[in-house]
Amino acid sequence: MEELMERFLKIQSEYFRRRQLLFILDLISLFSILYAIFVIFQVEYFLKAIVDVRIPINIIQPILAFIIAIIGAYLLHRNDHKINMTLLIENKYPEMKEKLRTAYDNISETNVIVDSLKSLVSSGLAIVSASTLLSTTVVVTKIIVVVIFVSGAAFISFNADKYAIPVDTLTSISETITGKPEDSTNLTIDMVGNPEDIEKAQASGGGNIFAKPKIASIEGRNIDLTIYGGEGPGFEVRDVSQTRDQFTKSAAFPVDVLGSNVSDGGFSDLMKKTETDKKLIQDYAVERSKI
Amino acid sequence: MSNEVYSSSARIFKELFDEIGKVIVGQREAVEQMLIAILCNSHGLVESNPGLAKTLTISTISRALDLKFSRIQCTPDLMPSDITGTYIIEEVSGKKQYRFEPGPVFANIVLADEINRASPKTQSAMLESMQEKQVTVGNKTYPLDKPFFVLATQNPIEMEGTYPLPEAQLDRFLLKILMGYPSFEDEKEIVDRYTKNITPTVNRVVSKNEVLELQKLTRDVPVAEDIKTRAISIVTATRAKSEYIEYGGSPRASIGIILAAKARALIKGRNYVSGEDIDAMAYPVLRHRIILTFESERKGMTTDQVVSDILKKVK
Repeated sequence: MEELMERFLKIQSEYFRRRQLLFILDLISLFSILYAIFVIFQVEYFLKAIVDVRIPINIIQPILAFIIAIIGAYLLHRNDHKINMTLLIENKYPEMKEKLRTAYDNISETNVIVDSLKSLVSSGLAIVSASTLLSTTVVVTKIIVVVIFVSGAAFISFNADKYAIPVDTLTSISETITGKPEDSTNLTIDMVGNPEDIEKAQASGGGNIFAKPKIASIEGRNIDLTIYGGEGPGFEVRDVSQTRDQFTKSAAFPVDVLGSNVSDGGFSDLMKKTETDKKLIQDYAVERSKI
Repeated sequence: MSNEVYSSSARIFKELFDEIGKVIVGQREAVEQMLIAILCNSHGLVESNPGLAKTLTISTISRALDLKFSRIQCTPDLMPSDITGTYIIEEVSGKKQYRFEPGPVFANIVLADEINRASPKTQSAMLESMQEKQVTVGNKTYPLDKPFFVLATQNPIEMEGTYPLPEAQLDRFLLKILMGYPSFEDEKEIVDRYTKNITPTVNRVVSKNEVLELQKLTRDVPVAEDIKTRAISIVTATRAKSEYIEYGGSPRASIGIILAAKARALIKGRNYVSGEDIDAMAYPVLRHRIILTFESERKGMTTDQVVSDILKKVK
């Protein structure tokens, strides 16, 4: 291959290798930023409300951040392949202006004038390097920025309890923006069975109070509770403070709220739950009591 | 030989301009354009007022290039045979025979002065020799010597009773060269030189073979693709619907711009065509190929102004 073409292709491949490195650095930066944002804004909570998936919820967040980061990095670098190397070199080295592209466009021609031009351009390319076309300072700066972002994201992730915005705050902000639901006390509860049938069964001594099995949920959060049968309507209404025998963990369905298994004195475990979870359980119990 | 001529081309052109400058004061651009037309193996059309050294310039160039020069003064009664030559009867050893007497077109550089005064039939005889580089008299064809360059002139004033060249014929001239009045300083220099006893002379700078080599080298000058594209875009822009242009340039104009730009690059000592060459050559190549609308002519617009607008728009 001609010396001119060899030198040009060498500079080109070195330059695009640097651009690939920039792509990876941008990808890592975006991923770190997005993951930190997801942790701060508790996207996991909202994802659970929206998405009913079988894979562990704590993997979805980083996967989603990665997917969005890949898309973002692709968009930032989508025109990299269109970069005109001859123009790039000519802009950086004005003495090569018009000469380089003429020599490149006539690379297959051979005559005394073209040969002299190729020779001139080839010697000119000897001083051109990829580091001048894509400054090393830019690459180093990006690496430093990536390190800062990754450190920040890791720090926030390990201290999520401290830095995550409470769900209540997020919910109230969301309600402020989108408008509060008409009656927040009328929660949509998917019940097992038709409540009217319970009275019917009670009155007639029969009837089917069991509908198609369905996971109970309040505000989109799955609740796993076993209502123990008993006299009267078939369940005991208890105050939220009465935690004995109220919750049993079901093995059949994925749960968001674990039963406290208070029969072995696990009340303290219940008390360790987050305020959000406690309120959820309480609301469900209150609603059940209204039936 | 190409290598030797190319390596000394910068020196050749410098010496040429210096030698021609001994006789011709100023008119650097006109001299350059005439040389460009010669290097492109084409022809030029000069439009200037009388007394601006058109004949002196081209004859000086022919002496510097060591080329045979002839001048044809076109008049309405000029016949085609006056240009091409004719058979004459001569007696050799008591026998009469026909001999072809070549006309003034059998030279390397021909000045067809005031070509618009010649009749269309005579004009076509001239133009045919320009195109074919040969002359047919009777049933015999006589090739013209190489290089062959015609510089035709037109007087922009006194157009009454003339036969302006039709647009189709104008297209055969690569460049239309304008020669204007000299500056005050140049005119002072002219007066100083030509009012004394010593008449300036010019020496030969290159040989005829070197001129032929330079013509080959001109076509070897490389052009970048984007510059070529720009040249073609300029010509196609003249064909776009416009309030100023009735008819635009043909593909001959595209060829002309590129060739002329190559020659200019060679004269300037460059081994590539620059955008500046395209811009400079757009004017002499296009000014006789664009026909303006009646409205723009009425407003006093010139083709150079139209070309200038196009050059600003085409990037």
